Amino acid sequence: MFWQQLVNGLTLGSTYSLVALGYTLIMGVLNIINMAHGEIFMIGAFVGLYLVTYLKVNIFVAMAGAMLASALLGCLMEMLALRPLRRRAVSHLAPLISTIGVSIFLESLALNLFGPQSQAFPTELATVQFELGPIRITLVQIIILGISFGLMFILRFWLAKTRVGKAIRTTAENIETANLLGINTNRIIFLTVALASGLGGVAGVLVGLSFNAVEPTMGLSMGLKGLAVLILGGMGNITGAMLGGLILGIAEVFTVAYGASSYRDAVAFGMIILILFIRPQGLFGKRQGGRF
Amino acid sequence: MITMKKGLIKWFSGMTIGALLLTTAGCGGGAAPAANSGSQSGEAAKIGVISYLTGGGAAYGQAIKEGLDLAKEEINAQGKVKVDLIYEDSRGDKTEAINAINKLINKDNVVGIIGPTLSGEMFAAGPIADQAGVPIMGTSTTAEGIPALGNFVFRNALPEFLAVPQAVEKAISTYNLKKVAVMYSNNNDWAVSGYKTIESTLKKNGVEIVATETFADKDTDYSAQLTKIASLKPDAVMVSSLYQEASLVLKKAREIGITVPFVGTNGFNSPELIKIAGAAADGAIVASPWFPGKQDEKVQKFIADYKAKYNNKVPDQFAAQAYDALYIYASALEQAGSTTDRQKLRDSIAAIKGFQGVTGKFAFDEKREPVMSATVLIIKDGQFTELK
Amino acid sequence: MAILLNQYYLQIAVFVMVNAILGVSIYLTLSTGQLSLGNAGFMSIGAYTCAILTVKAGLPVYLAIPLGGVAASFISIIIGFPALRLTGIYLAIATLGFGEVVRVIVLNLKITNGALGISGIPTLGTKIGKILSSFGMSKFGGFSAQQVSTLLVLVILLLVLAFLIFFCIRLNRSRVGRAFAAIKADESAAEAMGINTTYYKLLAFALGALIAGIAGGLSAHLTFFIGPKDFAYHRTVEILLYAVLGGSDLVIGPIVGALILTLLPEVLRSASNYRLMIYGALLVTMMAFRPQGLISEETVRYWKGKLGRGSKQ
Repeated sequence: MFWQQLVNGLTLGSTYSLVALGYTLIMGVLNIINMAHGEIFMIGAFVGLYLVTYLKVNIFVAMAGAMLASALLGCLMEMLALRPLRRRAVSHLAPLISTIGVSIFLESLALNLFGPQSQAFPTELATVQFELGPIRITLVQIIILGISFGLMFILRFWLAKTRVGKAIRTTAENIETANLLGINTNRIIFLTVALASGLGGVAGVLVGLSFNAVEPTMGLSMGLKGLAVLILGGMGNITGAMLGGLILGIAEVFTVAYGASSYRDAVAFGMIILILFIRPQGLFGKRQGGRF
Repeated sequence: MITMKKGLIKWFSGMTIGALLLTTAGCGGGAAPAANSGSQSGEAAKIGVISYLTGGGAAYGQAIKEGLDLAKEEINAQGKVKVDLIYEDSRGDKTEAINAINKLINKDNVVGIIGPTLSGEMFAAGPIADQAGVPIMGTSTTAEGIPALGNFVFRNALPEFLAVPQAVEKAISTYNLKKVAVMYSNNNDWAVSGYKTIESTLKKNGVEIVATETFADKDTDYSAQLTKIASLKPDAVMVSSLYQEASLVLKKAREIGITVPFVGTNGFNSPELIKIAGAAADGAIVASPWFPGKQDEKVQKFIADYKAKYNNKVPDQFAAQAYDALYIYASALEQAGSTTDRQKLRDSIAAIKGFQGVTGKFAFDEKREPVMSATVLIIKDGQFTELK
Repeated sequence: MAILLNQYYLQIAVFVMVNAILGVSIYLTLSTGQLSLGNAGFMSIGAYTCAILTVKAGLPVYLAIPLGGVAASFISIIIGFPALRLTGIYLAIATLGFGEVVRVIVLNLKITNGALGISGIPTLGTKIGKILSSFGMSKFGGFSAQQVSTLLVLVILLLVLAFLIFFCIRLNRSRVGRAFAAIKADESAAEAMGINTTYYKLLAFALGALIAGIAGGLSAHLTFFIGPKDFAYHRTVEILLYAVLGGSDLVIGPIVGALILTLLPEVLRSASNYRLMIYGALLVTMMAFRPQGLISEETVRYWKGKLGRGSKQ
């Protein structure tokens, strides 16, 4: 049972990591917590679901569509809810509150548009499974693990080596200086938000596929988990988000397996509180500077 | 500065008074004539409905609304009594339910109330109706202790402590169960109350509980709980939750190779369970007063009419019980001979005997609990069939 | 007058009062520039403590409600010590997490009765009604005992609120209030001036929790029933909205916010589908165009100036 539970924990954890990557990108560059990320993730899942159900597209096309839609949504949020706040010097709490606004707006919108019922992908992808000795793993679980680790390495490489990546890192260090250096910071911010939201959309489709349920309130619970991972791994730290997600997933599953399942939902936030008190910079964060 | 302070206090008291005036005058208008005036029988009886129409659990509230709307059309077409429904959305929130019930009683002057959807809302709203002397009937509030809230509080939902033991005991005798695992949604009052009944029934029958696992409403990942259960090899798994969670549990369980029978509470008797879980639902057992496969003229007509009105949707228990509830009100109104007298309506509801609805024969006992029988059903090849 | 005393409107007015008290609670924490998203959690501690004390231990309500507040405030000090080392968003997230942990614990404890909640809590209204009828007064010139007792409840709540406002205004003019303001303006500068920032932040945090706890206790005794769902994330967002909409410079801000946001849903009953969308849009718009809220110190000064001049002319 131990090995099977470990696999369960890793798959659950990799979905958390995927969501947390989006949080961490925005945190790293804009230094804000995007409380609406969970809802963008949920909208992504719905877009993917509707593409598959009504337009009968292939699941990978649906993922691309979801990515595009959530990226656009992210840009819209940046324009309407975040940019106006950057123009004037407001409290650092303002973006947090503003994104909370976006999140409840989107959740309610989805309830009105899609209805409260949970819906499932019509594909049989989720039922394909392999048995390796004592463990059983589904194809979707493998895809999720592959995509999250793949994305993590691509992101790291891209940020470290490419021109745009360097521009993003410079902007993350200091927006004014980046501006002086001739970087179009507005464009970089746009790009970051689009990228983070797009990632969220893909995560939405993958999570919807693997658990066979897409519904409007999935964003809130997943978003809160992603937030926990963000704190756990260290804000703005990509490796931290990746490993933090896996740690949280495994911790939750093991709480169920060897402890009391009724305390499962307290694990994430118990961990946040502990980490904030003991090591506020997160498990993998450095005390000062150096993001990504 | 001192003057400013005084000014503030003055301003605040002004604001408060203004607010009070605003609430009253703003919404007011033609409110609050005495409820008992003029009871011409030609007038439609105003019945208030509090339902979970928007928000996370709106699927249940909407089913209730559909059942009620269908019953209303039929009752008004028959013409013995006329009913008018006034809907208020409670969004599953007790504060909203309180506001809604006060509005219905004091502003709309309804003669009786149907709802709210959740037991938790009923615990907050029921006493208000009772104090005001307005009959209220829950159609889906199954938790223990609801009619005990007061003399005006009824329900036509078969409570868990009557339905669940039937299913559990039938399963124990049919499959000779020795050890079982139990799962339930621990943030849902309804599911918790069902779980408690399962637990006590199992104990009474000397069946060992090898594991008790919980999850939360809207959870999607059940692999950890089910992996643990699979390793303990129980003879059956008992699940107390609404159908959305139940169908995901079933799907996951079959996927990881748990093939034993599942016994469920009310959530299991929804046609949606079969729709979502598909073949995984086979072997699920539930006791239900509502059985769409019943060879009964009334039931089949209801299903046909419902399907015709709502896009080929098969009615679930929420719709069926709401449908019956309005018919119970209609026959009580007919007995009472008044469309506005709340006390008379209450008395004639309490006196109902031998009512034949789509959920079977129906009466209230002296504690205002429903007296009705449930059928134990098992899902076979995607159909509810009676477990014999 | 009969319309004014309609039970429906009285009940809404009662909720306005409770929410206004919650508004004061978030104002106090915000007055040191700390955003706590744990108010729903503190409210829940207060409500449960109070309900358990009255229902299970048989304590009188007037003792149980303050005790609920004290319990919330006690817990807030325990988590406050480490939490207040955190600033800004970190504190917000930690307190948000705290609220969730409280919810899960409440779901699991026997004494709180898990998801089933505590029902059959005696309400203030029924208590007052009983006292009144023991004096042989059941009718008051055409008003039912129910109306009169609700009206009396309203008066009690109004007195509590008035006291809190008075307290806050006094506080602002005191040494403590000035320390709060200094910390809000610039924490490091305040520290450099010799203000013990941890102490004052903790004080503000604990006061906020105390009042949230009292509001929780009051609400438990106004609604017959409490369950864990009443104090979830959405409740926190609602309390936050009071401060964001009304403004958190002056104590009157969140109170006005609470007033508007309690009345609005009733006026817009038919549009209840869209209520949360409207709230969301409201949060974003306020942040973008008027982050200080509807009522700020300038607003008050402006209107005072205008009214002052008007009366002179």
